[in-house]
Amino acid sequence: MSEIKTITLTIDGQQTTVPAGSSIMDAAKSLDIEIPHFCFHKRLSVAGNCRMCLVQVEGGPPKPTASCCFPAGDGMVVHTQSDMVKDARKGVMEFLLINHPLDCPICDQAGECDLQDISVSYGSDQSHFAEQKRAVEDKDIGPKIKTVMTRCIHCTRCIRFATEVAGVEEMGATFRGENMSVGTYVESALQSELAGNMIDLCPVGALTSKPYAFTGRNWELIKTPSVDIMDAVGSNIEVHSRAGKVMRIIPRENDEVNEEWISDTARFSYDGLYENRITSPLLKNKGKFRAIGWKKAVETLLPKLDNKKTIAGLVGDLHAVEDLFAFNAFMKTTLGSDHVDARMNGFALDGSYRPSYLFNTTIEGVDSADAVVIIGSNPRLEAPIINARIRKNVVNRQMPVYMVGAEVDLTYKYKHLGDKPENIAELYDGKSAISKELAKFEKPLIILGADTLGRSDGLGIYKEAEKLADKIGALSSNWTGLNVLHNKASAVAALDLGVYPEDKGMDLGKTLKALEKGTVDTLILYGDSTHVDAEKLKGAKFTVYIGSHRDAYAEVADLVLPVTPYTEKDAWWVNTEGRLQEAKASVAPLMNAKEDWKVFRHLSGELGKPLPFNSLEELRAHVLKKCPNYKYNNCIAPAEKWVSIAGADKLLKKSFVETVTNFYKSNEILKASKVMTECAESSLNKNKAMRKAG
Amino acid sequence: MATPKLSIEDKIFKNLDGSDDWSIKGYQKRGGYDGLKKLLTTNPDVHIAQLKESALRGRGGAGFPTGLKWSFMPKPDGKKPNYLVCNADEGEPGTCKDRDILRYDPHTLVEGMIVGCHCLGAETGYIYVRGEYYDESSRLSQAIDEAYEAGLLGKNILGTGVNVDIHLHLGAGAYICGEETALLESLEGKKGQPRVKPPFPAGFGLYGCPTTINNVETIAQVPPILKKGNDWWCQFGRENNHGTKIFSVSGAVNLPGNFEAPMSITLKELINDYAGGVIGGWENLQAIIPGGSSTPMLSAEDCETAIMDFDGLREFGTGLGTAAVIVMNKDTDLLRVMTRISAFYKHESCGQCTPCREGVGWVFRLMERLSRGEGTLEELDQLYDVTKKIEGKTICAFADGAMWPVQGTLKHFRHLFEEKIKENMKKSA
Repeated sequence: MSEIKTITLTIDGQQTTVPAGSSIMDAAKSLDIEIPHFCFHKRLSVAGNCRMCLVQVEGGPPKPTASCCFPAGDGMVVHTQSDMVKDARKGVMEFLLINHPLDCPICDQAGECDLQDISVSYGSDQSHFAEQKRAVEDKDIGPKIKTVMTRCIHCTRCIRFATEVAGVEEMGATFRGENMSVGTYVESALQSELAGNMIDLCPVGALTSKPYAFTGRNWELIKTPSVDIMDAVGSNIEVHSRAGKVMRIIPRENDEVNEEWISDTARFSYDGLYENRITSPLLKNKGKFRAIGWKKAVETLLPKLDNKKTIAGLVGDLHAVEDLFAFNAFMKTTLGSDHVDARMNGFALDGSYRPSYLFNTTIEGVDSADAVVIIGSNPRLEAPIINARIRKNVVNRQMPVYMVGAEVDLTYKYKHLGDKPENIAELYDGKSAISKELAKFEKPLIILGADTLGRSDGLGIYKEAEKLADKIGALSSNWTGLNVLHNKASAVAALDLGVYPEDKGMDLGKTLKALEKGTVDTLILYGDSTHVDAEKLKGAKFTVYIGSHRDAYAEVADLVLPVTPYTEKDAWWVNTEGRLQEAKASVAPLMNAKEDWKVFRHLSGELGKPLPFNSLEELRAHVLKKCPNYKYNNCIAPAEKWVSIAGADKLLKKSFVETVTNFYKSNEILKASKVMTECAESSLNKNKAMRKAG
Repeated sequence: MATPKLSIEDKIFKNLDGSDDWSIKGYQKRGGYDGLKKLLTTNPDVHIAQLKESALRGRGGAGFPTGLKWSFMPKPDGKKPNYLVCNADEGEPGTCKDRDILRYDPHTLVEGMIVGCHCLGAETGYIYVRGEYYDESSRLSQAIDEAYEAGLLGKNILGTGVNVDIHLHLGAGAYICGEETALLESLEGKKGQPRVKPPFPAGFGLYGCPTTINNVETIAQVPPILKKGNDWWCQFGRENNHGTKIFSVSGAVNLPGNFEAPMSITLKELINDYAGGVIGGWENLQAIIPGGSSTPMLSAEDCETAIMDFDGLREFGTGLGTAAVIVMNKDTDLLRVMTRISAFYKHESCGQCTPCREGVGWVFRLMERLSRGEGTLEELDQLYDVTKKIEGKTICAFADGAMWPVQGTLKHFRHLFEEKIKENMKKSA
């Protein structure tokens, strides 16, 4: 192993030792010396253009040095508080403000603005500027981001983010000097699933959230740590609420999961929490829903849950761990029915062997992989955060990516190796050039789309992937490179908790057949899913829908019970890695909605077979008994020795297709969100326009 | 003591006035490409050592010792190619020497590129020509074609085993692309903005490969130095400032033009003996900008004794720059000239660094106002203060170059501002 060289230098009279290659700013950080900056961002390339981080280096040229980009040298003596530095900072601050509109009272960034904060600490209290200020025309860059370009300080963070992280080279600077202007050149909506992160990156109020515009002041907001459920990544978020209403969502930093990015669905979908919500129980009467009280709703429901009846339960995509457990127990112990399935995509595996359905390498593990093989998945839409992670490694380390599946734009280059299940065999047959190429990697990472495993030949595809993994060394003692990428927030928890027929009950397919035949007495639809068309769910004698949004599934029901979405309950969530994370309730349940598990507990009591928990703590204790892995809170369980899954090897000739076709509409909250509807339309229009232009 | 004029033999650019044939035939008749084979078979280290000794300093403005610069280049390691890039983005106001080299003696540059590439271990050279020099670049392009036809470019030149390919690239009209790292960015197809240094181009230049960037005149001067030897070269000019140099003299002189003259010639001689003297006589002289618009001006008094070399002009707080001598006599409204120069820099700032982007425009607006007398005496101090806040705070030297002329004006001609301001105050009173 090569020895890591270190450098010792003195900053403001204090000595520090840092690894070779560190910048002066890094070294200062190690001493907790604050150096003000605008353009520098630890997850973006270094631009060195704002000139706010100037420091004085002894023995160098008689001018200050930019600490963000100047490498620390052995024996260097640096001053960050000398007169030269103070003058330089004051000067730069004054230049930044001469053309800045100083419209803080009407700026959404005020209160969390780098320019404000740094100006207070390092600026002067007056300007000498007596000329006309510059004004820049605002640009329309889509429904996500509002621009006030006069406020722009040209730090280029947004440009670097779009180019480096998001992989869409749509932002840039046009013109020179004081006319330099940041934008998209041809005015059009940004086509990125990560565009919203530019709002957080913008150190001033040039790019702010369009949906949040003029709705609140950040100092009035209550900030609650939570977990995003728009995909199965489990991005860490902070839900900001005011007066019992969610006002906005921003990311929390977690290097192991989302670094500090979140997808736009996570950030902008919160208006969907207040659209199309079910606010009280509804009973269908002559084809029309009528609001009723909970008491009457329960009275209506209880006779339909008689255990002599055939009762089937289908579970949607957005349920927390506790709620899934409570529903599963309610179905299986209280109602004595094994006809329950949460695998709405038809996922071929069950929960008997945990690594068979997890993203075993972990999201952070992508950083140490040396090649990626994607099978039947579009990570850009199914998990934009993981896709950005792959892209980072493709860009920084030239990590090769191979793809068997629909040919889609992943924002980075990959080798396309066919789109049929039979193409997988070519990757490991040992004869083809590609199989020889793959065999030479030490840490190959295979990503299998969860929806692809929901095909009727899902198990066969899984077995093929397993063979591939075995042949190319993805299943060695120190590297587990076979991963399933889920795209629904409750997918992993449902498998962990056994929310599928464990005895001889009907799974999804059989339930649908039974519905067609009319042999189901009572169908319980717990939550919505985009995988199964609501039309197929008609046919039970009585259908009850338990969910938060009045979407397609609610319409086929006879009775509707309102429960809570993710922001309204304390809950555990398990992401595609199998990582358990806790979210806190940021607001109270809307109107008459109740926390899901309480509904099942109450019903079980009414039916005379009460579930054995009376509080969330007791419920969690039961969950932990069922899934001991969950005790590793916010960290994934230790790796196990690989066990192969037995099963058929049937493969169809059918091509893999894109399963997430409408990114902005892939669950009931997104479907309810007006902002997401606008985003979906703008991306559709752009696609159309591009097709027209050829 | 008068400096003797250069004989035609001693001139490097024998066809600088365009009176002779610019093509390869003409160049060879004038002795071009003679001895090239010998240069290409000699070890590059020998050449670089000789260049170091010759004290050839970069002709693009900064005056950095060329031999030293070339010695920074790593030997090609087989993994990454080395590049020689010729900076022909001549944009400094007042400067037009490279233009005449490109159109009247382009083969001096081609030969220089061949020898330069050999010295630096590069097999590919790029010539980045200013976009406005379209006609000149066509000439150069023809010259490159001629050299290919004559077997002087391409694979195995003259049987020496040396391979050199030259590519020509036209800029798009940005002054900043004359800054070497902005030039590289532009050459790579990006927005022309200077890079943060370190890393320096010698380690991480064009496409991330070791790169040396030199001015047209510098590169063209290399073959004659190596052929004729340092004794010949060092007879011209003073210690550390040897050789010959093209001076572009413009403004209020009777015979403006490009003149190749020995270094360390006095400014007065250059004006009187080469450029036909100041219009209206030497007594009519007001000020001279000695090295392109970025260099602070000399007062008429300083012009009496100024010596035109890197060290000589530094004594007067200015620099040789590109040796573009802009002469202003007493008929010139000096403040208007300086305001126009400020407008140029406002227009040409790339916009990357805060002080330059915001400050240069501010300085221009102050200059515009104060040069008309609209303002107060305190604002003159403020103007100086702003230039000081910009100078030395940016990635590249553009902002410094934009501020020096303003500072020079305030130093020598503050009284002109004051007169205008007082006059204006009287009027409005």
